Amino acid sequence: MTNEIRLLLVDDEKDFLEVTGKRLARRGFAVKIALTCGEAKAILDHEWPEVVVLDVMLPDLNGIQFLKEIKQKWPLLPVILLSGHASVQSGIKGIECGAYDYCLKPVDLEELIERVKIAYQESRAV
Amino acid sequence: MKAYLATIPAESLRQKPREAYYAGQKRLFVLVVIAVAVLPLVAINWKTSSFYQKSWLAKTTGELSGFASSRRELIDRFLTDQENLLGAFTELYDRQYLSRPGNLARLFQAINKSGIITDLGVIDANGRHLAYVGPFADQLAGRNYAAAPWFGEVMRQGRYVSDVFTGYRQVPHLVIAVAAPDHSWVLRATINSAMFNGLVSSANVGPGGDAYIISAGGELQTPGRLGAGKAAPEDLALLRAAGADGHHARQQGRYLYAVTPLNGGAWWLVLKTDIASSLQEFYQARKIGLALIVAAALAILGVAQQLIRSLVNRIEKAEQQRMTLTGKVREVEKMALIGRMAASVAHEINNPLQVIGAQAGWVEELLEEGVARQGANHQEELEAIGKIRQQVKRAATITRRLLGFSRHQEGPWQAVDLNQTVEETILLLEKEARSQRIDIRRNYQGDLAPVVTDASQLQQVFLNLLHNGVDAVEHDGLITVTTAKENNRIKICFADSGPGIAPDHLEKIFDPFFTTKAKGKGTGLGLAVSRDIMRRLQGDLRAGNGLEGGGLFTATLEQPGTEMAPARNEQNRGSP
Repeated sequence: MTNEIRLLLVDDEKDFLEVTGKRLARRGFAVKIALTCGEAKAILDHEWPEVVVLDVMLPDLNGIQFLKEIKQKWPLLPVILLSGHASVQSGIKGIECGAYDYCLKPVDLEELIERVKIAYQESRAV
Repeated sequence: MKAYLATIPAESLRQKPREAYYAGQKRLFVLVVIAVAVLPLVAINWKTSSFYQKSWLAKTTGELSGFASSRRELIDRFLTDQENLLGAFTELYDRQYLSRPGNLARLFQAINKSGIITDLGVIDANGRHLAYVGPFADQLAGRNYAAAPWFGEVMRQGRYVSDVFTGYRQVPHLVIAVAAPDHSWVLRATINSAMFNGLVSSANVGPGGDAYIISAGGELQTPGRLGAGKAAPEDLALLRAAGADGHHARQQGRYLYAVTPLNGGAWWLVLKTDIASSLQEFYQARKIGLALIVAAALAILGVAQQLIRSLVNRIEKAEQQRMTLTGKVREVEKMALIGRMAASVAHEINNPLQVIGAQAGWVEELLEEGVARQGANHQEELEAIGKIRQQVKRAATITRRLLGFSRHQEGPWQAVDLNQTVEETILLLEKEARSQRIDIRRNYQGDLAPVVTDASQLQQVFLNLLHNGVDAVEHDGLITVTTAKENNRIKICFADSGPGIAPDHLEKIFDPFFTTKAKGKGTGLGLAVSRDIMRRLQGDLRAGNGLEGGGLFTATLEQPGTEMAPARNEQNRGSP
């Protein structure tokens, strides 16, 4: 499919990551998954993802820190943050650092897809 | 948790010994007051009185002693003078001349101007009375003294002074006899002993004191206070203790004594002062002083006890307040700890929930296609998966509320720009709203002064209200957020184009666990927690319906900047 969205999923929870990856692939997304920031960087450099879904809590680097790095290199790439921490402050912090959207765990797959699509469309519009 | 449970019984146990501790403190303070104030008073009084007593004793002993020796000189000189006078006559005249009638009478008249000598007699060596002048001429005429002990004495020694005796005259008197140089005759005179009664009794020995002369045999020579007779046995014992050297002053029993030998050791002059009666006035003064000290001590103790009681009570009260405060602080700390624990538990649970939800979704998808589709239980399997997903959502709602609940302690109070705070919160939700084609319209008052409050808690409230609005509208609608200043209050209004709040729900809308949302979608805590937060921030939260229908929630915050606002205005006026 030519119009499939290239999506990068970064989360340290392997069981979630793999299953969600498979489900999104079935729905026509070109999904890459990464358990760490290191893996994610390699994919970002070579695979050119169009939307990133990023867990705030990662083993090797703070998600917000990684978000800043991504925004520095690819300012137009939309990043949706995923967090188990329902703090308003952490959400605001993420938005301030350039995240496109902010979702609370556990997130419903349909809801996530909806947000990914909106993010993709808006980045296209720009 | 364990640590907190352990502190509670320990604290209640500490209560009782604390009372005992304060009682002990009170006793200690009273003892300190006694030691510091009362004891020195008593010590000073005792020291002063014993010093006075000692110095009085020393002074009085000295006085008595001096008096005794001056009297001794006087009395001894008197006796010697009389002896010498008689001796001079025995040398001037002979026996024949004085025996002639009239001559002795003339001599008696010449020497007796002072009335010291009451009679004169001339006695020959055989003891016969040759001549006599005096009031007892009849009784003494022709008397022979040859056998009298004093006559033998004077014939041997040449001189003789008798003890005082009453004799047949029935008047106390003493006799001085002097033998002529050749011992052929004797001139004898009777001395009125009343003369030195006066000399002795004029001694100042104080009340209850006594002054007298006694012979070595214990016979009183002058009447003391007790009159004539024998001296008291203790006086005699004192004389014996005095020994040969004589002059002597000391305290014995209740008396202060001064004794001195007279008349060549034949007599003793005794002066005694009754210490107790001399010091009577001093003792009286000392009693009054003691009474005053006791009264002062009682007064000091009373006042001190009152002061100490009120002081200790005040300390106790302060201590109790401190304990209560510590208890409150501990309570707050405990709540904060529970909050943090709840947050971390909720956070940890969110991750497995995420996995469960994803796996359930995956199973559902697999069931939708695969071989199982033909299985008899296919429908039930799908239902079971649906229920798992539903319960995951329900659990997620609970963990989110727990996280929201735990954040009440968060955040410092600082000056907050309310428009910015509202805007930041809207940003969080705007994308979700837009995905449901819900427009969020801002209607901010531009010149809002900052409010000192907790921004993170406010955002929690705004987020709850926005979520409510989105849920009420569902899709295709409008949420209007308005900020405005009204008197000393700032209003933040959230109006939605939803169906509004039913009148019978308006009363219960802030009750905990009241919800109109579908089961599993809401806990009914959001609005209750939000109003609780607003009230804690000294504001309020009210619910109602807008003029054009739809729910309208109004959060208010006090802005007590009435003093700050004019100051700012003046500053503005000052700078062009």
